[in-house]
Amino acid sequence: MAIFLILMAAYLVINLANFQFFPRSVRQELEKIGSSITNTTLRVPAERGLIFDRDGEPLAFNIVQYRLGVSPALVADADSLSSKVADILEIDAFDVYRKTVSENIWEFVAGPISAEQGQALAALDEISLGLEEIPKRFYPQGTLAAHVIGIVLDEGLVGSLGVEGAYNDTLAGRVIDLSVSNVPFDLPEDRPAEQRGQDIVLTLDRDIQFWVESELKAAVDEYRAFRGTAIVMNPRNGDVLALANYPTMDPNNFLDVEDPSLLENAAVQETYEPGSILQALTVASALESGTITPYWTYNDTGHLSVGGRDIWNRHFQSHGSTDAASILIRSLNAGAATISLQMGTEDFYSMMRAFGLGQPTGVGLFAEDPGELRIEGETNWNESHLGFNSFGQDMKATSMQLITAYAAIANDGVMRQPRIVRQVISEDGVEEARPTTVRRVLSAGTAASLRDMLIRVVREGAPGALIRGYTIAGKPGTAWISTAVGQEYGPHSSIVTFAGFFPAYDPEVVIFVKLDRPNEYYGYNVTPHVFKRIADRIAILLEIPNDEVRSRLEAAETDIVVAGS
Amino acid sequence: MAIFGVAILLILGGLYLSQVASFAITNRAIEDLISRRDQLKRQNEQLIGEIASFRTVPRLFERAVEIGFRPASNSDIDYILLEGYNPLREAAPSELTTRSEAGGAPLAYDETFSGWLERQFALLRDQFETFGK
Repeated sequence: MAIFLILMAAYLVINLANFQFFPRSVRQELEKIGSSITNTTLRVPAERGLIFDRDGEPLAFNIVQYRLGVSPALVADADSLSSKVADILEIDAFDVYRKTVSENIWEFVAGPISAEQGQALAALDEISLGLEEIPKRFYPQGTLAAHVIGIVLDEGLVGSLGVEGAYNDTLAGRVIDLSVSNVPFDLPEDRPAEQRGQDIVLTLDRDIQFWVESELKAAVDEYRAFRGTAIVMNPRNGDVLALANYPTMDPNNFLDVEDPSLLENAAVQETYEPGSILQALTVASALESGTITPYWTYNDTGHLSVGGRDIWNRHFQSHGSTDAASILIRSLNAGAATISLQMGTEDFYSMMRAFGLGQPTGVGLFAEDPGELRIEGETNWNESHLGFNSFGQDMKATSMQLITAYAAIANDGVMRQPRIVRQVISEDGVEEARPTTVRRVLSAGTAASLRDMLIRVVREGAPGALIRGYTIAGKPGTAWISTAVGQEYGPHSSIVTFAGFFPAYDPEVVIFVKLDRPNEYYGYNVTPHVFKRIADRIAILLEIPNDEVRSRLEAAETDIVVAGS
Repeated sequence: MAIFGVAILLILGGLYLSQVASFAITNRAIEDLISRRDQLKRQNEQLIGEIASFRTVPRLFERAVEIGFRPASNSDIDYILLEGYNPLREAAPSELTTRSEAGGAPLAYDETFSGWLERQFALLRDQFETFGK
């Protein structure tokens, strides 16, 4: 018995000693358990980065709203408190009173409430009231550039759509988990530094954006279109100066939107069959590949049969001997198809790929759609596609892809990477987004030939786009809308577009306009006028001198050079 | 001896309590300051928001129309050519350079007074040399 007791005592002493000198892992575990009892972990969101336009005007920043609750057990005078709270919040005092006399430990009173109301409630210095902060993203410009900026979900923590979605990681910063003592006034000794989100400066020009949105809305209303899109881009560096969709939404109240499709940025998320606006790319491709020359002609009979399907010109007209420029001026489907058939699938599709069709542009906006360009060998491709693709049917593209392709023509054949973000500003400094070149699509000579054709297109085929004093190059387009059944097209509705640039010989902007199902079927009756209104305003806003001033400047320059030499 | 012991205990207890009270008061003051700082920051953001709301294009446009302005049209614009000055030449550099290409340093205002003085002298010297030619 004595031996047993001695052994038990020895065992207890050894265990006690072991308990005193725990291994490190066990000690840490125990400390963690102890800390979880005395401390609470608070998740502190980092302040989200701000978004500015190219001139530093704020487009998105943060404000705080509040949620109000009450602890009924701590209420001394329910009558007085409920009337004060109701006065500040402009709500029914009886509702507040019912909550202040509730038997629950905690009652939610109102929220989200504004910062002013929150401050007024805090000034009451009432111990029974509890104010909880709710971070809120605020868009001071309202609906302006809503689809470019995007929205923020989850009480200001997660960006979605537009730049908010595409650059969420950059804007969001680093969330910290702060361990706070439950002991009153026991502050943490080492508070980890919050990593604030980085600010973003867009390429967008707020003034141009405003005018583009105004003109687009006017056009959608005037032509009773279902919806519309307009984009303005600088072809020299790929900067998107304006991007508008109408109808639009207010990012401050995006939950009130009745039609969820209004949240989509149609310019990059919606694909459609672009129609005859694509003929310019077909002609450019044929010139570049050497299939045709600017002096090439063909005999236009108004009709062509490809892969068992018929291609007709507008109004079933035939034009006899026709050159490439006339195909664009008269928007001849049979002519475009003749060219693509002469090019062959390899040359045609490699050039369409070079123009960026069938792949996202990488402009930096949320959920960009790559479009659809089926090529020979892929499922559902047949020979008729080569004919129909030449005038933009049986394929799908986004508005951003099309303006980028036209910008390449304007920029002497060099495609610049389209971009929406100009700078990222962090505590370490400013990171400048570098204008980059995607590829040379056309030689400078081909680009110049096409520019001359597009100038003729505007003068002879779309004079509505002309603005006094400036040479305009562009192409209107009419696109059939495919019906749900098979590959047939609806006869009464269309999508009309215009892509153009000016001043034609030294382009500073490319403008793309698209109206979905307007009350006029053909693009040349509608979109050139919209282009003109936007271009007129941009010429003033960007201080683009007219052709006469430009030629006088060039002459003066030549004089200086001659005098100098 | 016992009284002495009790006195020592009382003194030590008093010192402890005073330390704890001082610790609590200081932390309370820090907490108040943090809360005040956060409140001022929020008010500042609120003001920025209000200013931005007042500066929106539709509001400025509306106000401009109210006080008699109208949007300029193309025909309202007159260009004055200055001899030797070509805005287009300056606006279109032959090569697009970025800061990252130029060394990658972040944008920061780091010019010293002596550096500025040297730059002014260099500009003046260039002007004299050009004039001399």
